[in-house]
Amino acid sequence: MSETKPKKSTGRINSFTIIQAIISVLFLAFLSWRLYNVINSGVYGPDTWVRFALSGLIIGSVYALIAIGYTLVYGILFMINFAHGEIMMIGAFSGYFVFEALKSVPVAATGLSFLDSYQIISVVLAFIVGMFMAALSGYFLERIAYRPLRGAPRLIPLISAIGASIFLQNAAQVMFGPKRRTYYNPMSLSRSQGWRIPIGGEEVILTYTGVLTFVLSIFLLIALYTLVMRTRYGRSMRAVAENKQTAALMGIDVDRIISNTFIISGALGGAAGVMWGIHNGIIYHYVGFIPGLKAFTAAVLGGIGNIPGAMVGGIFLGIVESLGPAVLGIDFQLKDVIAFSILVLVLIFRPSGIMGEVLSEEKV
Amino acid sequence: MKDLIKQGLRLGLVFGVVIIFLILFGLTTTLSDILGDFVNLDSNTRTGNSSGLMIIFAILSLWAGSRASAADRSKWKSALVSGAAASLVIGLFVAAFILLVGFLDSKEIAMRDYLAQLDHLSIQFLLFGRSLIPGVLMTFGIFFFFGILGALLAYWFEAKNAGEVIQKQVFILKEKVLDSKLVTQYKENPISKWIGYGILGIVVFLMPQFLGKYWNYAMGTVGIYVLMGLGLNIVVGLAGLLDLGYVAFFAIGAYTAGLLTAPAPIALQIGFWPVLILSVVFAAFAGIILGIPVLRMRGDYLAIVTLGFGEIIRVLIRSDMMSPYLGGPQGIRDIAGPSFFGLSINTEKAYLYLIILAILLTIVFTNSLQNSRVGRAWMAMREDETVAQAMGINTFYYKLMAFATGAAFAGLGGALFAARNQYTGPADHTLMVSINVLCLLIVGGMGSIPGVIIGAFVLKGLPEILRELELYRLLVFGALLVIMMIIRPEGIWPAPRRRMELHEKELEILPTDDSLVGKEG
Repeated sequence: MSETKPKKSTGRINSFTIIQAIISVLFLAFLSWRLYNVINSGVYGPDTWVRFALSGLIIGSVYALIAIGYTLVYGILFMINFAHGEIMMIGAFSGYFVFEALKSVPVAATGLSFLDSYQIISVVLAFIVGMFMAALSGYFLERIAYRPLRGAPRLIPLISAIGASIFLQNAAQVMFGPKRRTYYNPMSLSRSQGWRIPIGGEEVILTYTGVLTFVLSIFLLIALYTLVMRTRYGRSMRAVAENKQTAALMGIDVDRIISNTFIISGALGGAAGVMWGIHNGIIYHYVGFIPGLKAFTAAVLGGIGNIPGAMVGGIFLGIVESLGPAVLGIDFQLKDVIAFSILVLVLIFRPSGIMGEVLSEEKV
Repeated sequence: MKDLIKQGLRLGLVFGVVIIFLILFGLTTTLSDILGDFVNLDSNTRTGNSSGLMIIFAILSLWAGSRASAADRSKWKSALVSGAAASLVIGLFVAAFILLVGFLDSKEIAMRDYLAQLDHLSIQFLLFGRSLIPGVLMTFGIFFFFGILGALLAYWFEAKNAGEVIQKQVFILKEKVLDSKLVTQYKENPISKWIGYGILGIVVFLMPQFLGKYWNYAMGTVGIYVLMGLGLNIVVGLAGLLDLGYVAFFAIGAYTAGLLTAPAPIALQIGFWPVLILSVVFAAFAGIILGIPVLRMRGDYLAIVTLGFGEIIRVLIRSDMMSPYLGGPQGIRDIAGPSFFGLSINTEKAYLYLIILAILLTIVFTNSLQNSRVGRAWMAMREDETVAQAMGINTFYYKLMAFATGAAFAGLGGALFAARNQYTGPADHTLMVSINVLCLLIVGGMGSIPGVIIGAFVLKGLPEILRELELYRLLVFGALLVIMMIIRPEGIWPAPRRRMELHEKELEILPTDDSLVGKEG
């Protein structure tokens, strides 16, 4: 979150930088060769490329929303909130229960259920409940699992976070059962419907759910950015991120800021969960884990602790993940491998991320 | 007075919510079933006799009441007030919850689709087999009565100084035992250590003979986890590198053993012993290959990269692309077992002996490593990397060595695991394995070999004994990790140095600057 300008490192050229340069050149050459081959061979028409790019953008915006949660917490506490994916899962389940409850309420005037009669209200309600529940869990997560460990060696809160993650996953499994559930969307948000765009003689469907997801997450991201950068409250958040003791001396309630950070990141995660449910349709107790990991990758990619970085990183990761298998000509099953390989490569070659500051050794 | 009530209400709220979650998890019914079996109450969900549940509720409310009265136990009145406030809230909360659930159930709304534990039978059980209102009133009554009782009991104990008296008695007893002639003699005799080891050895040696097939198998699994724990202990406990992708090396070991001995997909079918060595070597090699780029990072970044690496390996071995070479989601079948001087090892018992042998070798190896120059270098690195570097330790080299050694043990464990099961597949190599191994390290005590063994028994052995709790195993793990980190971060049987490290702060008189905020950049 800190705004220090990235410093140019003026170190000696060592073998590591040379290897780094050679590998990146080779990799880029390989990539362009593959891309040339794939485009030339015509396996995928232009419509398919657009389809990939669109799905990448949409999923990337969800990653960005989750990544913000990691970045906010890391910026303030220098810890990876490993259970953040589970917070998203809680949001997804809350939205699901709201839809199920509204589905079972009949409205006499229209002869349909509440969900289909008042669609906008239902969706808004699902988002509000999902965000509220996720924020609540975020708050209690911090109170129970992290606050007692403040000041402990850095491994300890991380392990506690892993524990919380396992606990929440399995609590959901035990409570709701292990089966996969399908989100029952309101009528006009059906997952197969959308605007049809003709591209290269084929039709590409831009689904309503996808548009909702993308627009809403961009809106939330802008709102958050404004909150952090433009308001008095955001200034105190940044102050705490910069230096807790000095912030405390300036009359800022550090504990409250930290609690609220967890609430905010929880709410964003919850919104991401509801979006995930509405757009992808299937949720289960494990649903938050992989997106959480990917969002963390996105946060690292953009430079952890950096809010615009997390947004860019999320969308970048989404696009790479959906275009990557096609470009490299490998199975779509392996898209997770691409995401994690990117994580590994970024951490090795540029640990400060695309837009990140140069972190001091202590922080890294 | 107001404060007392407030405190009681707050505590009651916490307890009430926790109890409602216990009911939602189905833990109350499961526990009462176990209790019913244990004391032969003929009480379980099938018979509908819920006296076990009553006991559980009573214990919970006794606990809550005594906790609530901790606010002020000097007068019986104040203990009563806070206890009553707490138990009132708990009673109201739980009773309201059961009322709601029972009401919905009586309207024949199937909550099971949404809340898996609330089927008709367990709701009847929660109502003590009675109809709605009497059942709810009874719940409320139990919580209210026992909560107040708990508060008063706590007051009474305090008034009689019972806690201190018991503590004193225990202390005196302990001193007596420790000072008695037998113990002192035993302690001072240099041979006694070896006698202890001898007894332990005989027990370990004879154990597989007396256990049945199932228990031999279960103990074999525990043993493999001990093996992996000892390996990870080097990486995390000694060198201080958090590795969350440990399963990758386990998978490499298992797949090396599988691919080279099984008839499909690559029909090489080399014998077991050379393959065992090969899988150890391959795993260590993979450790070096991963370690070279990754070990420049510190702390949590390293954790995430290794976690990503583990996931990459898992996704790769189950992908269709690699399935001609690695068997895909079906895995590898018919992995050959070893033979020992013409004696074919194929029973659970034989494998258990093999695993015990491997563990003994590993213990000897890690123990001598730990006390060597290398082990000291690792520990120095863990304490403070910069200082270690200044002392002339090549940190990168030693980190790589720790990583490779840990990986080698995982490879050994993987090969044994694959050979024993005669099968290995992607399902054996999930992230959960890494987390389990890490958990057993943490629960047992990082950096300590007895800790690893205890941890493996607690985490892998206990769930075998408490089979009814299988569903809650991971749930409890997760909670245990968090609680452990808060209460006893050094584990059950910690290495002495690590305990000192983690309780450093308590020894200092003034709080350091770090105590408020942790490390700052």
